[in-house]
Amino acid sequence: MENFTEVLQLFLATENFLAIAIGVVIGVTVGSIPGLTATMAVALALPFTFSMEPVAAILLLVGIYKGGMYGGSITAILIRTPGSPASACTLLDGYPMAQQGEAKKALKMALYSSVIADFISNIALIFFAAYLAKIALNFGAPEFFWLICFSLTIIISLASGSMIKGLIAALLGILLSLVGLDSVFGSQRLTFGNYNLMDSISFIPLLIGLFAIPEIIEFYRKKVVPHLTAKASGAGVSWAELKHSLKSIIRGSLIGVAIGAIPGTGATAAAFISYSDAKRRSPHPERFGKGEVEGVAASEAGNNGVAGATLIPLLSLGIPGDVITAIILGAFMVHGLTPGPLMFQENLTLIYALFLGIMLSSVILLFVGNAAIRYFSLIADIPKAILFPIVLMFCVYGAYAVNNDTFDVWLMLAFGLLGYVFNRTGIPAAPFLIGFILGPMFEDNLRRSLLIGSNDLSIFMRGPITWFFIALTVGSILLALYRFMTSRHKAKRRADDPGKGA
Amino acid sequence: MKTFLKALSAATCGGAVAMALSVSTAHAEEWPTDDVRLVVPYAPGGTTDVLSRRVADLLQDEIDANVIVENRPGAGSTVATGRLARGGRDADHTILMASPGHTIGAAIYPNLAYDPVEDFVFIQNMIDIPNVMVVPADSPYNSVLEFVEAAKEQNMTFSHSGVGSSIHMSGELFKTLTQTNMTAVPFAGSGAALPALLGGDVDVSFENMPTVFSHIQSGDLKALAVTSAERSEYLPEVPTLKEIGEHNLDQFVTTAWFGLIAHESFPEEATETMQEALNKVMEREEFLSFVEQLGAEPGTVAGDEFKAFIADEVARWDKVAAEAGIRQE
Amino acid sequence: MTKSRSTGGTLIKDPWDVVAGAVLLGFSLLLLFYLVPNYIGEPPILQNPMMSPRWLPTIVGWLLLVFSLLMMIQGVLVADDGEDSGRRFERGPWLRFALMALALVVYVGLFEMLGAIISGILATLILFIAHPVRVWWVYGLAIAFPVGVSLLFTEVMNVPLPMMPL
Repeated sequence: MENFTEVLQLFLATENFLAIAIGVVIGVTVGSIPGLTATMAVALALPFTFSMEPVAAILLLVGIYKGGMYGGSITAILIRTPGSPASACTLLDGYPMAQQGEAKKALKMALYSSVIADFISNIALIFFAAYLAKIALNFGAPEFFWLICFSLTIIISLASGSMIKGLIAALLGILLSLVGLDSVFGSQRLTFGNYNLMDSISFIPLLIGLFAIPEIIEFYRKKVVPHLTAKASGAGVSWAELKHSLKSIIRGSLIGVAIGAIPGTGATAAAFISYSDAKRRSPHPERFGKGEVEGVAASEAGNNGVAGATLIPLLSLGIPGDVITAIILGAFMVHGLTPGPLMFQENLTLIYALFLGIMLSSVILLFVGNAAIRYFSLIADIPKAILFPIVLMFCVYGAYAVNNDTFDVWLMLAFGLLGYVFNRTGIPAAPFLIGFILGPMFEDNLRRSLLIGSNDLSIFMRGPITWFFIALTVGSILLALYRFMTSRHKAKRRADDPGKGA
Repeated sequence: MKTFLKALSAATCGGAVAMALSVSTAHAEEWPTDDVRLVVPYAPGGTTDVLSRRVADLLQDEIDANVIVENRPGAGSTVATGRLARGGRDADHTILMASPGHTIGAAIYPNLAYDPVEDFVFIQNMIDIPNVMVVPADSPYNSVLEFVEAAKEQNMTFSHSGVGSSIHMSGELFKTLTQTNMTAVPFAGSGAALPALLGGDVDVSFENMPTVFSHIQSGDLKALAVTSAERSEYLPEVPTLKEIGEHNLDQFVTTAWFGLIAHESFPEEATETMQEALNKVMEREEFLSFVEQLGAEPGTVAGDEFKAFIADEVARWDKVAAEAGIRQE
Repeated sequence: MTKSRSTGGTLIKDPWDVVAGAVLLGFSLLLLFYLVPNYIGEPPILQNPMMSPRWLPTIVGWLLLVFSLLMMIQGVLVADDGEDSGRRFERGPWLRFALMALALVVYVGLFEMLGAIISGILATLILFIAHPVRVWWVYGLAIAFPVGVSLLFTEVMNVPLPMMPL
């Protein structure tokens, strides 16, 4: 009991509450500006934490992290510009919703789903950290390899129109992801001697280019279309709608937790896996990608479910799962703390104070998010002729800011043109993105497994985790084939419409 | 719209305040006459970034200027370094936190447009972090010699955080010196590499001290040796590779160093001012406790000594890179 | 937007797909026989072909080749169902499109030379004119935003942008 009062003493300081609140506000704001990522904000806030109490310092950074995860979805929904990579999936349904005058509903759903996922993720962190950390340690290269293979199968369910086009998009994504220095031999791959390409193609310019720029180009090519205004952009989310999506949200959160607990996969992949899972289970998958509110819910649940869980390997093993947790690790060290197994023995009160703060951050996110939506949803009512030039400006500044180089502005425009061509030829952008994210992970883990196992292929079947993911992969492909066949069958019967199901 | 404008006005005010501050702190004639830019050649996160932000924060108190940290990642630090080498308007107020990427990068990247030694002024080495040769807790090897004997018979794997990292190159150096069979297994950063080591998927690693220190303390990893010239005060019972001596290991001395460099046109007066200020920074309690947390030692070399050290490092990694076949012609 | 075009009678049902497939086919051939052998270095000794830096690019190349052929066949046989593509629309005036292209050129070509603020103002003004904005005060935004956002980036966020004309 004495410990409990100690925890409360550590936690109940005004500084902590302020730190979380400020953190979440900064996170939401920065996350919603294209090109400025939560990672950048966390890095910039780091020096301010040097002079703070350890608990407040960490909570500030965690607040930014969580706020940023949600903030990215705001611009994804409103202007088809993912503020952060993880929200790329949210725009698939969020932006169509905004165009149909349902921006507010999409934003609200994204927020509720984020908060619920965040909460579940925190629970996982607090109660199952030790257990999940053990699983993470058993996750070696072969296990990763199969997880990636399984994730690649979601391309099939993401390709909404033609499967062939979806696969082509994914292949192009994989190909572009391989540009840069080879991870094993350090030899150059398709860099053409350009130094800007050696660290592979920057993700942010690709993301902005692929989604935001085509929309802008299209707008200036089309004849004027009447602007659809729905005054402060429509209604919010009804209780029934939330309840309807709740299963997807919870499933997405759990997917996020699992992915977050394993260092190195990331929130973007989690969002897409959760999204495709929801789509697969939905009674009307054809609505996904055209403004299905459940799609927004699923993808936001996936990416926010990661946030709390990435702290699991950090706190219990001292292993940062992504760049943001790496910076938080730095903040711990500046304050004379080293996350890892020993911290749970030596600084338990501090850890519990942190946990309380992290729980609180979900609640604060709900309030800050609600306030933000009230103003941000007004953006949906701005005429596009005014909005798009400003969006383009943000895109250019944001792309430049990634590496402080005009090269990335070029890159962004190149991907903009590619995205435009994709639109015109009906090649979907989402599988391209999946390919780009998963391509290097696929190759690296394949080669890593071969190196570790000295070219012995039996390493790919080495334990229950590999078997589990092999079964999932095979099952997923079979299910897709089955759906393909049945839809073909149906299409054939409807002789007047041979295009369906292809 | 309203929030946007609000944010905007807040931003403009913030900007104005920041500019006002920078004006008031700048003196007219003595260096620094402007804000000092500290370039971090890597993306946010990671030792270089955190260290730079810590140093920048402390350095502001010692010199009459703001110190602004800028990340310019790319091609293992060579993009930022190449830019620094080109000079330009702000060259007299730009410093860069160099690290082993500076010397190793020069060895493995083809056609660099700069000379890693002659094109720069070497101000001060800030910290040295030893690498630790670690094996999983259940590894059958309890000493370096046992390990080397076994590695002559069978193939061993070592994990590293990316091609050209000091961890990778230490492994390659070990392999070359001891003439053993070792395969490098690349990971995307130390964070990803650590589980493979803890889980026993790889046999050994030459990780940076801060990454593995807590795992050594908790008994999840066994430290066989440290790579620095002297034993580390944090792991006093662990021998150095140099003192083991056999199998050419006496030549194995390397640390991950982090130091400040500038363009060759950096004024001499500025170098002196900086060195003075940095020496004060390095005596500060905040700095020392941070260094301790990293398991590092404060840097000792500055100026010409620092330059000579860099020249040796460049030559050494050049050789290792050529022998390991990781240089691109 | 449902099916908006008659499919009967024509030999090729979706010419766009055939063209796109042909371009991709050409690209995959270029990749396989020129780019991969010339621009991907391969170490002299390899224990396993799967370890080669060329392995995955080559596989991707062949798959791309197969799928681009399939796409061409699909284009010949199957009509576009028009659901997910935004390819049919009424074209606006060409001048508007040209002005937008000009704005992009301003950003890409002059960003470093003119600095973020001036190129931002210039491009935004061009775009406002391209798709005429008739409310006069909006043009004020074309100045306020680039200035405000540049300052936000450089002063508050410490993210450098090229500021002044060199």
